[in-house]
Amino acid sequence: MNNSIIDKTKKYLTRNKKPRVEFERTPLLQRLKQKFISTAFLQNVVWFIFRFVLLLGISYVILFPFFVKISSSFMSPMDFTDVTVKLVPKYPTLDTYKAIITENRYFEAMFNTAVLSLLCAVVQMLICSIVGYGLAKFKFKGRGIVFMCVIFTMVVPHETLMLSMFMKFRFFDVFGIYGFLNSLFGFAKENYINMINTYWPLAILSFGGMAFKNGLYIFMMRQFFLGVPDELEEAAYVDGSGVFNTFVKIILPISVPMMITVFLFAFSWQWTDSFYTTLFYTKQGIYLMPNIVGVPRSLTTSFAAASLYESAVVNTCSLLILFPLLIVYIFCQKYLVQGIERSGIVG
Amino acid sequence: MNGQATVKKAKAITTKAKKPRSLEKTRSRAGWFFVLPFVATFLAVYIPIIIDSIKYSFNRIEMLKGGGYTLHFVGWQNYSEALFVNPNFVKILTSGIQQLIFDIPAIVIFALFIAVILNQKMPGRALFRTVFFIPVIISTGIVESLDASNVLLDYMGSTSTIDTGTGTQSQASEIISSMDIQRLFANMKIGTELVDYVVQLVNNIYSIINRSGVQMLIFLAGLQSISPAIYESAFMEGASAWETFWKITFPMISPMILVNAIYTVIDSFTSESNQVMTFISGIYHGSEPNGDVISSAMSWMYFLIVILIIAVVSLLLSAYVFYQRRD
Repeated sequence: MNNSIIDKTKKYLTRNKKPRVEFERTPLLQRLKQKFISTAFLQNVVWFIFRFVLLLGISYVILFPFFVKISSSFMSPMDFTDVTVKLVPKYPTLDTYKAIITENRYFEAMFNTAVLSLLCAVVQMLICSIVGYGLAKFKFKGRGIVFMCVIFTMVVPHETLMLSMFMKFRFFDVFGIYGFLNSLFGFAKENYINMINTYWPLAILSFGGMAFKNGLYIFMMRQFFLGVPDELEEAAYVDGSGVFNTFVKIILPISVPMMITVFLFAFSWQWTDSFYTTLFYTKQGIYLMPNIVGVPRSLTTSFAAASLYESAVVNTCSLLILFPLLIVYIFCQKYLVQGIERSGIVG
Repeated sequence: MNGQATVKKAKAITTKAKKPRSLEKTRSRAGWFFVLPFVATFLAVYIPIIIDSIKYSFNRIEMLKGGGYTLHFVGWQNYSEALFVNPNFVKILTSGIQQLIFDIPAIVIFALFIAVILNQKMPGRALFRTVFFIPVIISTGIVESLDASNVLLDYMGSTSTIDTGTGTQSQASEIISSMDIQRLFANMKIGTELVDYVVQLVNNIYSIINRSGVQMLIFLAGLQSISPAIYESAFMEGASAWETFWKITFPMISPMILVNAIYTVIDSFTSESNQVMTFISGIYHGSEPNGDVISSAMSWMYFLIVILIIAVVSLLLSAYVFYQRRD
């Protein structure tokens, strides 16, 4: 019964096969030979393997410190004196984490830093896209000079301005206006505002688009807007939309990937920043992430490998600092590449 | 009658001709409005800060007890103290600048190479990209300065199972020393300086990777903007991949090389792991008397030197940069 069906189908196939063949094909074996035994294919395979190994190796170099930090964060002091322990701890412990979180007040620092970074990142993202849009899409006298100023703020290292920036915000006053008003009405004892240990210095810098690396963000946004076709806005103008309406309703929605890229940069660079935070904030004022770096008192030891252990504790601190950032990065990294690719930064 | 009509028409034309100008005016006003936050803060806060910084570098600051401060003008004394009295500044400055000049080509070439590879289609590209851009996000600020001198990483990186107390070599240098590459190249008579340079680069591969993240992104963006039609026509003409890279990709990406070279200079001299900057901020936060003003004098000198480097780099490179649109 079964055999007859198979025979029938075989017959059917052989009968129907013949008319389909219109030309003589080279046999499969020969085709495979031609395809796979050739220098071009060999070159491709070699290049593929070389590339893969290279990328894997560099990824290893990038990720290896993480593995070390993660594994050593679970190690107890005994593991460091034991020479047989390399990456896998023999006496795993959670004490390091517990001590840092409770004694170094991790959550307080995280909350303060999150508020500060979110504030800065959102303000910088909006301001940089506004300024970038103005520089890209409007022709006005002095545009070149403004752009040069943007580049200038990027080039001058903030270390050069460290002292004067501190003095500026310690004795804050714009052109003596505050002092004048104060001496006129006398509402405060001093003729300046002390902004140290408040969120104001960074808020003012962010609002002006001259906080950490904001020149780069403005540059990126400008390049992105240069690539947006003018016809899009012209269509909106023809339909009776104003300049600002067009910016908010047409331009901002299409620049979301780029803005997320800027947000990601601003947020993470503010999060790990230790320059402004040590300059403007003291430990007693606003407790921020860089302040948690240090060995908690309960973990100090006089072991043989004390320096290694203390280094491991400090590395655990940096791991804890990075942990929230990594989560943000995993969610946003798709937009990072997308936004950068669309920006089409061309000289 | 006819004449009146033409006058009317002419009037209409003149008013029409005026209109674009007024539109231009509103456009330029809107443009100023958009850049206003930047310009206002630049004028009100940034320029005074810059001027103050220059002023402080010629002065001594005395904090008053009741709040406030006074300045004493001392001329070039801060500069001369930084240059001639401080024992380490000149040494660190020269070595830092040397390091910077060596690092520029390494970082730019590495970033270009990786960007070209990451731009090709291959399995796992998204994953590799994710990994390669991790340093952009995290290796700044506090984490970078912690990693700059990390006892733990050096210890764990050494592959020797028995710790003899000197196991602070990184893996890369061990690979190099075990393969005797250094001696091999020395025998090839291509000059010890070049060999030392390459070996040093391989030893510093971690910091080079960490510092070339943004450059990689910029190169990737540039590569994406090259029209695929050019590659297609080159392929049809029978160009090999090697030729395509040097005849098409390289000239098209050359403006990016200029941008990245300048960005590398700026980034590496404003980064936290820069030894000169670390030294200067150490002076600022340190206990040395008048360290604050001396540090600002030092950083102005450093800034001028770096501006000089940027000018030289951009002059050298702009001779070779190819712009597709020559107007």
